[in-house]
Amino acid sequence: MKVLILGGGITGLRAALALSEFDIEPIVVEKSSESGGKVKGYAKVFPDFRSGRNLVKNLIDSVRNSSNITVFEDSTVTDARKNNGTHIVSLSNGKIIEADAIVLACGFEVFDATRQAEYGYSVYPNVITSVELESFLDPEGATKGKLIRPSDGKAAKRIAIIFCVGSRNVKIGNPYCSRICCSYSTKQAIEIRENDEEASVTCFYMDIRTYGRGFEEMYQYAQELGVKYIRGRVSECSILPDGNVQVRAENTLLGKPVQGIFDLVSLSVGMMPCADAVELAEMFGIERGKDGFFLPADEDIFPHDTSREGVFLAGSITGLKPIRDCLLDGVSVGGRVASYLKNLYKSR
Amino acid sequence: MAGQDYKKGVSEAKLDYGWRFQGKPVLLHDDISTIVDESSHLMQMALTQMSKEYFSVERCLQCGMCAEACPNTMLNMNGRFSPREFIQKLRLGLLDFSGEDLWFCTNCGSCESVCPYEISFIDVMTDLRNLVIERGAGYLPHSLKSAIFSTANYKNPWMEDPGKRGDWIKTLNIPILTKDNTNAMLLFVGCLPSYDEHGKNVAKAAAQLLNKAGISFDILGEKEACCGDSILRVGDYKTFEQLKTINKRSFKERGIKNIYTLSPHCFDVITNHYFEKHEDTFSVAPFVLLLHEILTKSRLKIDKPINKIVTFHDPCFLSKHNHITSEPREILKILPGIELREMEHHGSKSICCGGGGGGIWLDRKKGERLAEIRLREVLKTKADILVTACPLCLSMLEDAAKNDNRFNHIEIMDICELVMKGVEQ
Repeated sequence: MKVLILGGGITGLRAALALSEFDIEPIVVEKSSESGGKVKGYAKVFPDFRSGRNLVKNLIDSVRNSSNITVFEDSTVTDARKNNGTHIVSLSNGKIIEADAIVLACGFEVFDATRQAEYGYSVYPNVITSVELESFLDPEGATKGKLIRPSDGKAAKRIAIIFCVGSRNVKIGNPYCSRICCSYSTKQAIEIRENDEEASVTCFYMDIRTYGRGFEEMYQYAQELGVKYIRGRVSECSILPDGNVQVRAENTLLGKPVQGIFDLVSLSVGMMPCADAVELAEMFGIERGKDGFFLPADEDIFPHDTSREGVFLAGSITGLKPIRDCLLDGVSVGGRVASYLKNLYKSR
Repeated sequence: MAGQDYKKGVSEAKLDYGWRFQGKPVLLHDDISTIVDESSHLMQMALTQMSKEYFSVERCLQCGMCAEACPNTMLNMNGRFSPREFIQKLRLGLLDFSGEDLWFCTNCGSCESVCPYEISFIDVMTDLRNLVIERGAGYLPHSLKSAIFSTANYKNPWMEDPGKRGDWIKTLNIPILTKDNTNAMLLFVGCLPSYDEHGKNVAKAAAQLLNKAGISFDILGEKEACCGDSILRVGDYKTFEQLKTINKRSFKERGIKNIYTLSPHCFDVITNHYFEKHEDTFSVAPFVLLLHEILTKSRLKIDKPINKIVTFHDPCFLSKHNHITSEPREILKILPGIELREMEHHGSKSICCGGGGGGIWLDRKKGERLAEIRLREVLKTKADILVTACPLCLSMLEDAAKNDNRFNHIEIMDICELVMKGVEQ
């Protein structure tokens, strides 16, 4: 019994582990040169500030230790068809795999911040995305955990975080809430304040949606640390001659305009469906919702099943999930696929 | 010490307005009975009937991007106008119809252009104004009242003789096409260019330019009525329907296919509000586009250098509503000897002159005029001439500049007049 898992991120790897425990042979196909997905780049993950890198490392170690998991890196699917109930999938590395079931765990893509031109990302050097801020905060990253201004390399002391970039915006076609930005931005704000007491962090938000277990407590802790929260969407960033960024917004709780000058502005970018979503949906014949994410056949009772028999969904491919939920999805899809295969072999 | 005692007395006396939170009465320090008036009830009722607008109001995120974009927030006024606050007050039924709030909006479209939820604030505004006009739900400024009366009865806002609408062209000795010529192009002049002194100059310049380029055209003359843009936007739907019917009948009588309008407001309202989808056989365009075509195809010879520094004010109904920003600039570049300097806000981010949405009929005090913000930006460019392409902008900017010695050295003119300067021998 072979199961092909598309995507070697945390969901895909966790699903592979779960399947291998059922004596099923999982084959993980990862597009990039190294499996572990986006989480392997995070020094700390919310809400408990554990190391994302260690999490992925432990996961990969367990995958290596189990004898029946195969991982193909640097590979993509070029073609998929079905023959007598078996999926025949060709990979870009020349291999052809016959699998009984397929799990799509391709994750998400980060929103391209240049699409919201009013914030001047990629035009003003001191406007960065949250992904870049994450690498600045990483002790093993390029700056060894120091927060600097990309324009001149000086230490950044006044930091603004702009929430909801690329989320909750009908105009650019993303009306949905990306769910995790409030939490990860709050986590970053805490890290900045904990690392450097002199640094000030100002968050421009619309609504704080820290919905998970421990998330709200994290938000309250951030406020105790002195992170400033201003309710209002930033209308414009503009650059001053010394490289500082001027931010304009309305403090909607007071009904007054606010202007701030910051060393560094971080855009908390939202999430988009994975880059290959269109291609994959066509290849496997699966519907996508209006938001571009994949649709399960029944979101409530069978969240992993699709309209195609033997093709399953897991992780952020069906909508944004925090790391814990993705791991949970990996475990749960394992169980679902195992029971599907059991029934399949019984009927043959 | 008497003053302090008085204050103390007020803070202790709490007022019960019947608001309850978790079963307990919410007592307020301040007297808000003047804010919650009967109109709020009427407003809520009417809003639920206007499903689309109600939806807009209900789904607003209150993010405040519109407040930053709205030109009214740039004025240093007490109790400044903010679209976000307006919607919030509307939702809570706290909107004060007896105040001026409703009449600040100039329909420039800045808020809609930045709104991440594409909320049609202008539609909400227009429908609320309609409540005031048709049901008398609130305060209607006096100057607006007389303009509406005049437009309904005289087909222009200043009680001018409708029979003299085409008089401006009589002095020019330009042949106007007759009824027989069905392929004729129509120049829809509009009210300001028909009656206003400076406006007439614009109309004359446009007619002369067409004549020199060898393009024959027609005007409706006394058969033309006000296009109805401002009337529609102050919420008088009934009068608008009348004006629309008169103009459509005139178009039909002459068998016109091509309309060019001197004012972007006429252009916008004729394209978007005159015709149902199935009867759209007209091509309507602002005069700037025709001028652009004439100049780029070299049908008009311009040999006289102007040698001035010029800045261009984008009319909202060209730039924000209809995305026409490059053509007027290309015209300016063709003219010899002109240095074009852009203002801080230009193109689609231009600031409104204050004339749209009925604003032209309101009397604003000095210091409360949007045109002054614009003129201050003109000063920064050190331009000699401020060019625009809309009779309303022209009038508003001129009015603001006239009696202010900071601005009265700036020459303000329409793009037609500037081109005419280059043609004149």
